[in-house]
Amino acid sequence: MPHLPADLDRHVTELIASLCTVPAAQIAPTDRLREDLGLDSVSSMELLSLLAEELDLDIEVEEAMAVTTVEGTLEMARRHLAAATREAV
Amino acid sequence: MTTLVLGAGGFVGVHLVEALRAAGVTARCGRRRRSNVLGLRRLGVPLVLADLDDPASLAAAMDGCDTVFHLAGHYPRLSLEGDVALATGTRQMRHVLDAAAAAGVRRLLYVSSTATVAPAEGGGPSNERHVHPGPPGHGTYHDLKWAMEAMAAAEDRFAVTTVCPGACLGPGDLRVGTSALLIALARGLDPPHPDGVVSPVDVRDVALALTRLAALPDPPPRLLLAQSSRPLHALLVELAGHYGVAPPGPPLAAADAVALADAEEASARREGRRPLVAREIVDLILHSVPLDTRLAQALDLRFRPLAETVDALDGWARRVGLIPPPPHKESDPCRTSPPTSTATSPS
Repeated sequence: MPHLPADLDRHVTELIASLCTVPAAQIAPTDRLREDLGLDSVSSMELLSLLAEELDLDIEVEEAMAVTTVEGTLEMARRHLAAATREAV
Repeated sequence: MTTLVLGAGGFVGVHLVEALRAAGVTARCGRRRRSNVLGLRRLGVPLVLADLDDPASLAAAMDGCDTVFHLAGHYPRLSLEGDVALATGTRQMRHVLDAAAAAGVRRLLYVSSTATVAPAEGGGPSNERHVHPGPPGHGTYHDLKWAMEAMAAAEDRFAVTTVCPGACLGPGDLRVGTSALLIALARGLDPPHPDGVVSPVDVRDVALALTRLAALPDPPPRLLLAQSSRPLHALLVELAGHYGVAPPGPPLAAADAVALADAEEASARREGRRPLVAREIVDLILHSVPLDTRLAQALDLRFRPLAETVDALDGWARRVGLIPPPPHKESDPCRTSPPTSTATSPS
């Protein structure tokens, strides 16, 4: 069963901030993980893997590779959380 | 047997965990606190913290294990700080060896590199006997891999088998290490490269070989794994034909390739990104020797044809978007977008 944080957006933003040099307060949804936040391909995958572990999400590598922005990260998390919630009820 | 895989989330690691599972062995999968374990999570295998700079975590991870696969040898992201890389890699290797000895591990299978393979006397392919007698002096990567392999070879508290795979290719290379040249070529780019010998090997064959070695009662102390050895530039020209893209430009002179990689690493360090031209790849191309893999064949290890490997790599790279889809459905699927940059390493 996925773990739903009270404020998903803030949680994801703080997770991203922990992996890059940009403070959470300065991270915008439109920021690109690589070009704007300095996460390379490896760090980006580590971010999504951490997120999958923290929220207990089952994310495919191919799907994670397609995520390029903060908003994309949030959308992916929301989509998986919603699907897991539907399965649980 | 109870088995631990260090570096289980990496390119070779995920394939090894799958191969072990197919052989009936559910491995304990060592991971760093911050690492990509998406592939392992989908396999449903047990994950344990195994930080090579945290001996306590290694002790816990190895508790009760009789076999350890060590695929997590330090890989310096930059070659510019050789002393730091050497200190990190040898310190971590000491932690692994000491933890294995303390845990009563009976066998360690260490994945090294062909960077440690010395030229054969009088020319010809090199075999398992050919090891550089000291640091090769071909750059940070070579010297580090040599130092770590020397530590593994000197271990006398348990059995060690060192495996030296050639350029690992195949599906799942998320870091786009040795696959970088091929993916750049498939994208229609013209990757800058020197010429030299390359010895490709399918990552799935490496995984099967490691699985097989662990089951042998008396495995050899060192084993080279490669599908073949051939000149890189000729291989790229051949693959360009396979992809239907323009052949690569002529190879760079050795000094020019090293200077290009060093300059790129300096820029990458300033900008906090990965270098587009990796110095260790340049060094590996320039200094690798042809390999004699008769011992692997005598152990009944098989290497699939390179075309099969390239097709698997290509299919995976297209699925994950590393090679973009063709602009028009009617066009040749190998003819992709026009060149936008050159690279022998990912961004």
